Amino acid sequence: MSCLLLTLLLLPLVGSGLVFAWKNSSSKYLALGIALVQMLITFYILSDFDFNPTVDSVLQHEINYPWSQFMKSSLHFGIDGMSMLLLLLTNILAPIIILSSFNESVNYRNTFYGLILLMQFGLVGVFTSLDGLLFYIFWEVTLIPIWFIAGLWGQENKRFEFTTKFFVYTFVGSLFMLAGLIYVYNHSASFALTDLYNAQLNETQQTVVFWFIFFAFAVKLPVFPFHTWQPDTYTYSPTQGSMLLSGIMLKMAVYGVMRYLLPITPLPIAGISGQIVIILAIVGIVHGALIAIIQTDMKRIIAYSSFSHVGLMVAGIFASAVVTLRGTFNVEGAEGALVQTFAHGINVVGLFYCCDILYKRFKSRDIRQMGGLAKVAPKFAVLFLIIILGSMGVPLTNGFIGEFILLKSVYDFNGTAAVIAGLTVILCAVYLLRFYGKAMFGEGDAAVLSTAKDLSAVEFSVLASLAVFVILLGIFPQPVIDMVSSSVKFIYQSMVS
Amino acid sequence: MSVLIIVFLTAVIALFSGVFEQGKFARYIGILGLIIALYVSFMPECSFFDHYKHMYEYSANAALFTKISIVTTLLLFFLGGFAFSNHRSHQSELYSLMLFALCGGIVLFGYQNLVTMFLGVEILSIPLYVMAGANKTDLRSNEASIKYFLMGAFATGFLLFGIAFIYGSAGSFDLYKIHDFGVANTTNVMFILGVLLILCALAFKVALAPFHMWSPDVYTGSPSLITAFMASVVKISGFFALFRLMTIGFAGVTHEWINVLGVFLIITLLLANVMGLAQTNAKRMLAYSSVSHAGYIGLVFFGMTSLSTYNLAFYLFAYSLSTVGVFMCLIWVEKLKRETSYGAFKGLAKTEPLLATASAISMLSMAGVPLTAGFMGKFALFSQAMNGAAFLVLVAVLGSALSIAYYLRLIIAMFFFKESTFKSSEKVTLTYNIIAVVVIAAIIILGIFPDLFARMFGL
Repeated sequence: MSCLLLTLLLLPLVGSGLVFAWKNSSSKYLALGIALVQMLITFYILSDFDFNPTVDSVLQHEINYPWSQFMKSSLHFGIDGMSMLLLLLTNILAPIIILSSFNESVNYRNTFYGLILLMQFGLVGVFTSLDGLLFYIFWEVTLIPIWFIAGLWGQENKRFEFTTKFFVYTFVGSLFMLAGLIYVYNHSASFALTDLYNAQLNETQQTVVFWFIFFAFAVKLPVFPFHTWQPDTYTYSPTQGSMLLSGIMLKMAVYGVMRYLLPITPLPIAGISGQIVIILAIVGIVHGALIAIIQTDMKRIIAYSSFSHVGLMVAGIFASAVVTLRGTFNVEGAEGALVQTFAHGINVVGLFYCCDILYKRFKSRDIRQMGGLAKVAPKFAVLFLIIILGSMGVPLTNGFIGEFILLKSVYDFNGTAAVIAGLTVILCAVYLLRFYGKAMFGEGDAAVLSTAKDLSAVEFSVLASLAVFVILLGIFPQPVIDMVSSSVKFIYQSMVS
Repeated sequence: MSVLIIVFLTAVIALFSGVFEQGKFARYIGILGLIIALYVSFMPECSFFDHYKHMYEYSANAALFTKISIVTTLLLFFLGGFAFSNHRSHQSELYSLMLFALCGGIVLFGYQNLVTMFLGVEILSIPLYVMAGANKTDLRSNEASIKYFLMGAFATGFLLFGIAFIYGSAGSFDLYKIHDFGVANTTNVMFILGVLLILCALAFKVALAPFHMWSPDVYTGSPSLITAFMASVVKISGFFALFRLMTIGFAGVTHEWINVLGVFLIITLLLANVMGLAQTNAKRMLAYSSVSHAGYIGLVFFGMTSLSTYNLAFYLFAYSLSTVGVFMCLIWVEKLKRETSYGAFKGLAKTEPLLATASAISMLSMAGVPLTAGFMGKFALFSQAMNGAAFLVLVAVLGSALSIAYYLRLIIAMFFFKESTFKSSEKVTLTYNIIAVVVIAAIIILGIFPDLFARMFGL
């Protein structure tokens, strides 16, 4: 069955090559077609996915070929529940993101779509690789296409500063991760995941490795003091770039923390380092939300909101890790973070797309210059509201269940921390409802409103498909939890042992 | 040895071909000779030359490095037709000087005797002093030549002085006898002094800080093709000479020089990368980048394993490929624009996508972005050095982090501008396109299948 996974890996790569070569205005249809086939294959894999595997069969569709004897690394891929969830996220969002650009006249179209598919290749690689070096390589492979997307199609007058800042920031983070991985590798037999888990390191060594590897994830997520690249990059990137960055790419770090960081360095997490991370994450939650409240640029609101939400995921993962390492086995935080990962991906892509739609109507990103669109665009008003409610985590939307479990697991760690982290729910309602109210209600510019149209077919199909996921997952979250729970338990067990 | 003879004969023939047609044939003669030399280097060494054993040993490692430097020189020769097209009357001299310098390099790959090493260093250096000044009408080129020559003369003095100390204490020029002496007398002051003097001299040759001062000026002043030659072949030769000397000859007194070298590396990595950031001229930036690469390569001396030579070879080969990739772009731009500031590269990707891509991938490889050969090379060196000197690796990581910023500036200039400053009538020659494809393919294939390198060069 491994050929399915191989197809999943190679299709976007071959596809991107084809799209690059296809210098024709119809290259967008080719790209969409490839992304849709990729999505269908993912669904096919999901359809016979084993939701209750035994310990030996956590990994499904495994591929393992020798690669480099000098690097002691092998081409080892496989899918477990966690990978499956993120593969679903990637491959559902990719066609939506491609579709979302159909109304625009993109310059150098084939390069644009080729880069998106190349990015998808890197993401699929990150989420399925089971070898440290391979993970690092795919991790970096995603960086180049997104950098080019941001730079070539980003906001004209800001492109050079923000792309350089973004690239340097994430590249520095990655290099530290590389140093950390090499350090572990020197104490283990190979780069295979099990060997990395079993590397013999004492607490000091683990602490150093922890911070080195964590730095890379902290930059990508971003966690509190390392977030300064993020608002600029999200704001000035083209909409599709922001969607890829916040919807999928950020999730690589959540995944990386669980797959690599927790099992390799449990000792510092049980000690002071784990607590420092939780504190940083909680500072980020409040800090991000407070800044989001005073923003007037709508993309910046979304950027800071994303920063705040991610803080809760990190706090949840580390809280349940710390609780587990203290003796009570607790995987709720990790499960919640994964559910939230999926939900946040859908919501943030929806929000950025709504920003794009608003920008097209009002020709401005400043929410103070908007208003009254609900009257002329009722379809948009409804779909936008569903996505806003999803991001706020209102019950029966996808954001609720993840947020609830995360807060619960932070509470298990420390009550005060949970209360502070819980502020995110209130603050989030404040800035998102303010954003929605300003844009959709009140008195708007009459000239703009008279020409504004409701959603076009493309816009409707993108937003509607996202809204379906928002509600569906809000009502039936259990399949997602079932999907990830056995692999999360497996990871937490290897962390303890 | 037969390779050396072939390269030497090619150089002589190329030199005398200048009699005909203003040296037009020199390049073709050089290419032909290098291809023959490359072919011969893959064959087992002829036993006829056995009596040179105590001066020169053609070991497997020497063969490996010989192949790498011949391949690099060959690539540069292909670029030469365009690069030297306004040096009409001196082409044959320049090509044959490059070949003579290559001879010096080959001598350095297999020396077994300090006298041979000295000869190799000088055969390598003296043609370079001349080549640096090849643009006779350009003041900066003259400055480069005289600066290189004066500094080189000092380094030669250090080298000779060091050799004298070694001979005075060990009583032999032979590398293995020196090794035995070092193992037996680890605290002989005269010997250690000799070791350090030679280390300084060779640090000058490979441009390790604080002996790198000449390199930015010389690299910038020299014609670009010569700069590429200095950054690739000369660096390979110099480093392998240093590597052989330190790991065979002075292996017994490792603890006496390793810390000194470590300090050199730290200064190199930080200084070169910070200075690289401050540059506004692409050629000067590449000069500092070359200095910083000497710092990364120096990591090979730390945490030595049986794979160290292989790691060194891989890194140097990856670096040479990238150098060719970047400099071919630089040569082209310099020729059209007569300058090499970042602004001169604006919008190159619009008119010459292949050339710009080759150069971008080369720079990403230099920075160590995965799926390029440079990443695998850096990975190998970092993971090796992590065993002995984790702190140095940390400095190197910081250095790489700084370096990405200045490589990006050039990539941004080439790719992120909507309008090109180049005329669409000036198209790159076919040779350049072919070399661009070769460089891109080689960098990416080696980045994905690093083990191919071992097979390709018969390891």
